[in-house]
Amino acid sequence: MASQNLDPAAASSTAALKGNETAGSVSKGSVSKRLQQELMTLMMSGDKGISAFPESDNLFKWVGTIDGAQGTVYEGLRYKLSLEFPSGYPYNAPRVNFITPCFHPNVDENGFICLDILKEKWSALYDVRSILLSIQSLLGEPNNDSPLNSAAAELWDNQEAFKAHLHTTYKN
Amino acid sequence: MNDNSAVLMLHGLPAAWDTVTAALVSPSTPPPVTDESVSEALTLLCKKGLGQYVEGWLLETLQVSLASHVAPEFWAGLQQPEVETQERARAVALLEAFRTLLRRLQPFLCGLERLGTWQDEGRAGLLGPGAHGLRERAFSIIRAILLFSPPPVLQQRVLEFYSRTFSVYMSQMEEQIEADDVAAESNGNDTCTGCAAAQQVCWCQDALEQLQEFSHILSRLQLLERVSSEAVTNILHRLIEQRMEQRCRGEYERSFLSDFNEWLEQVLGWLSRVFASEVGEAGSNTLPTDGMLDYIGSTILQRWRCHMQQFFCRIYVNMRIEELFSIIRDFPESTPAVEDLKFCLERTNQRQQLLTSLKSAFETRLLHPGVHTSDIITVYISAIKALRELDPSMVILQVACQPIRKYLRTREDTVRQIVASLTGDTEGCSELASELSRADPVTLETQDSEDEGSDPEEWTPDPTDALTVDKTGSKRRSSDIISLLVSIFGSKEIFIDEYKTVLADRLLHQLNYNTAREIRNVELLKLRFGESHMHYCEVMLKDVADSRRINTNIHEEEARLPEEEQPSVPLSAMILSSEFWPQLKEEKLELPAAISKSMETYTHRFEKLKAMRTLSWKPHLGSVTLDVELEDRTLTNLSVSPIHAAIILHFQEKGTWALEELSGVLGVPQELLRRKLALWQQHGVLQEESPGRYSVLEKASSRERPDRGIMLIDSDEEGDSNTTTQSEQREEKLQLFWAYIQAMLTNLESMTLERIHSMLRMFVATGPGVTEMDVNELQAFLQKKVRDHQLIVSAGVYRLPKTTQ
Repeated sequence: MASQNLDPAAASSTAALKGNETAGSVSKGSVSKRLQQELMTLMMSGDKGISAFPESDNLFKWVGTIDGAQGTVYEGLRYKLSLEFPSGYPYNAPRVNFITPCFHPNVDENGFICLDILKEKWSALYDVRSILLSIQSLLGEPNNDSPLNSAAAELWDNQEAFKAHLHTTYKN
Repeated sequence: MNDNSAVLMLHGLPAAWDTVTAALVSPSTPPPVTDESVSEALTLLCKKGLGQYVEGWLLETLQVSLASHVAPEFWAGLQQPEVETQERARAVALLEAFRTLLRRLQPFLCGLERLGTWQDEGRAGLLGPGAHGLRERAFSIIRAILLFSPPPVLQQRVLEFYSRTFSVYMSQMEEQIEADDVAAESNGNDTCTGCAAAQQVCWCQDALEQLQEFSHILSRLQLLERVSSEAVTNILHRLIEQRMEQRCRGEYERSFLSDFNEWLEQVLGWLSRVFASEVGEAGSNTLPTDGMLDYIGSTILQRWRCHMQQFFCRIYVNMRIEELFSIIRDFPESTPAVEDLKFCLERTNQRQQLLTSLKSAFETRLLHPGVHTSDIITVYISAIKALRELDPSMVILQVACQPIRKYLRTREDTVRQIVASLTGDTEGCSELASELSRADPVTLETQDSEDEGSDPEEWTPDPTDALTVDKTGSKRRSSDIISLLVSIFGSKEIFIDEYKTVLADRLLHQLNYNTAREIRNVELLKLRFGESHMHYCEVMLKDVADSRRINTNIHEEEARLPEEEQPSVPLSAMILSSEFWPQLKEEKLELPAAISKSMETYTHRFEKLKAMRTLSWKPHLGSVTLDVELEDRTLTNLSVSPIHAAIILHFQEKGTWALEELSGVLGVPQELLRRKLALWQQHGVLQEESPGRYSVLEKASSRERPDRGIMLIDSDEEGDSNTTTQSEQREEKLQLFWAYIQAMLTNLESMTLERIHSMLRMFVATGPGVTEMDVNELQAFLQKKVRDHQLIVSAGVYRLPKTTQ
């Protein structure tokens, strides 16, 4: 039942938020509500291989889990991430880092991720689910043009060696 | 001369004594001795200091004579064996015994009277307690000796006698009332209603005269209270009980208070006869004034009146407590009974008894699986109405109905029933619907407001039996039926969701775009639940109105088309905004090409009309009107479900289908299909020629009576709702919780039960259909998952099994 109807109440509040964006005074309540809604969406979506949940009673700090996609060198490996949402969310991108060390061309040794949608290409239309899916696909398809980890970028072409190195260094 | 006088004195002393005592106890009046000589003798005795012994002697004589002759004679008179048989004779014997008693004691009483008078006058310097004091003493002696341990026969006789005179009196009162009624005589009954004897030997009048005399004697001996109280109390209690049993039991639609009071006045008339001589006798006695007498007479009656009222209240309350369940069930017809009970309950201390009894009545008669939920709700509503009349503080209501509320919470269909009756769907309880449309509704929000502007002067403390655990205090104790029902589940969201489902069902079932009634209901509910909560329902109603408009629009457009382009099957669509409607039941059904094509065209037109929107069809919902033309007959205007229509359409192309073949084409499971085919078999359109093969019966003549075996009635789904049921919703809720639990355990590794519970509480948005889960429920749920090996638990910490990683 694909309907194009939008909840008028939600639409109007989004518009109001946009107006307030410059003032930077987005009420925390509406952010919480949005995060709660995202959590619900994520739970209902039932995606395999990605998952996230608030770390404690703080709704602004989540822990995420990504399983390496099938058919990639990361298959069978599970990575933990931390997601921190700024008070300006969703107009400002969340900070996302790997907690589990990840050997990957676009991830540095501190777990920082180089992903355009988390930086300049961020849009309020993205949500936790799309972030996690993007990171999951980033694992299999790194952007080798702007590597954070050049050793990994170099090794990437040799998938066998990359996989061997990856599995020896993988620590959960 | 001196000697002479001394001799006279000595000689005179015994003589003087004799004179005085003779004067005091002489059985006959006037006394044989003249007053003067007695005075002389008395002076003589007093001179010698013997005056004080006269009193002692007289009382002693009384006592001895009482003990040795009078009392035995009295008891013997009462127990004469020959009078044992007949009531009337017994009454006479009773009276005779007392007559004798009075006769025997009369001399003494006269003597005492005389002595008392002398003492009062202080004649010859005689000192003593005076007439009043002497009488008191004498009567104490009489009471002590006579009634120290009276055999039960006295009470029996007195009781019998009073009962008889009572019924005589009452029947005479009634006769007076019905004096004009000739019917009283012509009733052909030979026995007198008063004395229960044959009319010819009626002794009513005698009885009343006997009563008069009896009372007179008793009062003369100051035995009236002693002898009669017990019997009178006994009679009154029995009568009140009897009367109550006959008149009030099972009769709730009449008030008995005024009736009882009238009757009480009659009874007091009789009582005044019983105690009349007390009043009258006192008058002829030495008590000072008449005003005082009336006062005494009326205090006795007053005391009896109070006693009877008190007793009436107790009996009445006892009886009504037993019947309270039925009274509640019959409310509001039983309003008079409730009002009477309220009046009486205020006068007796039986609230606790009432509560306990009502609670257990509810539990045994109402709260068991044999009672339909709607009946429980109906009784609960009646109870709310009746008990708020009975106890404006609402404490009884709150305490007694606790079990009902608790029980209703365990019934699955409670919410549905309440919502259905709110909207006037069920036949049983229309009260809720009328309650809803009542003027000045209590909105559920404002009800919680702190102050209701009531006058502080009118504040009354809670009765002591109020629930102490209830911290909200009496001002929160609501008597509003709807809010009480809604509060059973603690949140109104459940009700609104359920209402949504009901509304959706209703709108989807009628298919004629008529929403007047639903709009009214929604508006009424908005007054109760607030605008914002009813938003979804408004959208639903708007959808229906929009659908009607869009349909008209599209139909007009189609009408303008040339003949050949017009759609083969005219369609009317109900267009729902999926976000706002409850989940619809999903069922697969492949429609025949012609229909799908019509739908597609319809969709195109819709898309033109509403840019950026499209339709997603629910082919299994709706209704199809069709005519079936067969060789020799036509079935017209059949309204069937889409699946039935699809089936018969397929038979249009091909006369015979195998079940599995048809099931493949329609995309419907064979079992379901077989049930659906039954409808056409019943109509005699199709037949199962061999197991699993169906064919069209073109000629009615060739149709045999369908044998019983295949009279499968396609019933199970026909009346079913289009939306998901409550238990399905619960299943969904659990599924949702499980998703959350899995996610938190995936990301946070391991957690305790409490942590999981608090996380769920915090993060599960309690949206539509999702309510909280308490710790125990959660624990049970997790245990189940552990048993299914979907979860492992060690040392109170839950984690996901490794294998899923």
